[in-house]
Amino acid sequence: MTDLFSEQSHWAILSGLEGNLTAYNAVLDDIRKQAIPVDAIYILGDVVGLHPQCSQLLEQLRSPQAGEPSPQICTGWWEEQCFNLHGVGPDPQAFALKERYGDEGVEALWNAVPREQVEWLRSLDFGFMELDALLIHGSTVGYDDELTPDTPASVLLDRLIRADANQLFCGRSGLAFEYCLKSGQIASRLTTLDGSQAPISQILKPRKVVGVGSVGRIPNQASYCLYCPTTNKVEFRQIS
Amino acid sequence: MKLAVLSCIHGNLEALETVLHDVETQGCDRIICLGDLVGYGPYPNEVVDRIRSLEIPTVQGCWDEDIVEGLNACECSYPSLLAEKRGLRAHEWTNQVVRDDVREYLAQLPVSLRDGNLCFVHGSPNSQHEYLMPELDGFIALERVLSTEADVLFCGHTHIPYVRSLDDTKISISVKQIHPDGPQSAPVEQSLSTPIKRLVNAGSVGEPRHGRPNATYVIYDTESEAVGLRELPYDYEKTCAAIVEQGLPKIFAWRLSQGLEFAERADDPQHLCQR
Repeated sequence: MTDLFSEQSHWAILSGLEGNLTAYNAVLDDIRKQAIPVDAIYILGDVVGLHPQCSQLLEQLRSPQAGEPSPQICTGWWEEQCFNLHGVGPDPQAFALKERYGDEGVEALWNAVPREQVEWLRSLDFGFMELDALLIHGSTVGYDDELTPDTPASVLLDRLIRADANQLFCGRSGLAFEYCLKSGQIASRLTTLDGSQAPISQILKPRKVVGVGSVGRIPNQASYCLYCPTTNKVEFRQIS
Repeated sequence: MKLAVLSCIHGNLEALETVLHDVETQGCDRIICLGDLVGYGPYPNEVVDRIRSLEIPTVQGCWDEDIVEGLNACECSYPSLLAEKRGLRAHEWTNQVVRDDVREYLAQLPVSLRDGNLCFVHGSPNSQHEYLMPELDGFIALERVLSTEADVLFCGHTHIPYVRSLDDTKISISVKQIHPDGPQSAPVEQSLSTPIKRLVNAGSVGEPRHGRPNATYVIYDTESEAVGLRELPYDYEKTCAAIVEQGLPKIFAWRLSQGLEFAERADDPQHLCQR
């Protein structure tokens, strides 16, 4: 019998470029070297940041050269800060940015991302739903929803069930991890004014949350992941 | 100790007085209110005055928040566009009639209260606007209780009283973390289980939606941990007449008399608040 799922392909999933063009190009080089072809590149937000190459990186992403892949990009925490600075985000006073990076951070981000680039960033998606996977910066709760290897299983389940996804790929924490919710059960009994219902047992089907690492956050250490949707396997890549 | 938990009074003084009388008759030692003192009903100031006079610990409901903050709430505030349209009219009316001191009182209400292993919120621990419906996914319901670190989470907002016991929870996980400057670690396997947790919805004193016009609330016995759902008939026609007299949408009187929101069924009642 022919194996319907024998065809192998990979998605490269990245996040946290933070304006680091050199790191992004190093990742592209690594993607090109893969024996199994990468047929889609997803960037899960934080394309911009305080890095001096920010504007050049945006130009490259907006206008890929011939032979260069066109990634699918969604917005992240840094993009939201840009929207805030330009009065089109939910926090026009940019409190979150000031709290973490001070007034210098506000000024640096303002200078790093020109207005027309902000308009382009606003056209990007909030996240992607591909097959049974949600690819997003934080989670459906928000850009700053930071999922980590230490996040309680119940919280991760909430994020997965909210999105009706079996896999969730996220970038907010910058960490590379694979968190498998392998099995589970919960029994539930409901009583209303009209009486008690029979207990219900709910079984948890296997689900997974993957932190895809960060391309540009740590100097000279880019990380991303390759995902094979047919086998559901995740491979983490680290580039110095 | 017998604890009476009330929610969603919605300016319905007649229903509140009936419930307070029942609370006394039942020998309750303490009352806690889960908010939504105002909105929809004709006596917002009087309801707040009554709650304040009895010094009942109260959390802020979504209507209480909206009267303080203006209509800034998330999309979860109303279950449908039609409900939103009528809710806006009710909001305008309530906003005009509430006294300044009432608004100030509503503004300072906390979003949650704790008492030992009990936690009290209006909608959910996430938001006053999030509906925890009785048929909510079990794992999500568990997460809402666990997030409070309490054993029993009391909520309102849905106007449907219920007790949900979550038991026999086991989750098996494996976590692999990749360290940037070290070798890839083997996955760490873990099995988690939680003791029984409960979600108790107090229903609604002043605007029931369980199919009958009666006021509802719950009594919790802190020693036996028993929960009693209480349903009380009252003179709802009096409140219906006041709704019409005050110029509020007549549909509010109709649905109060039905104990349902047929005209405003949620597009997606399972919708979870995103904020």
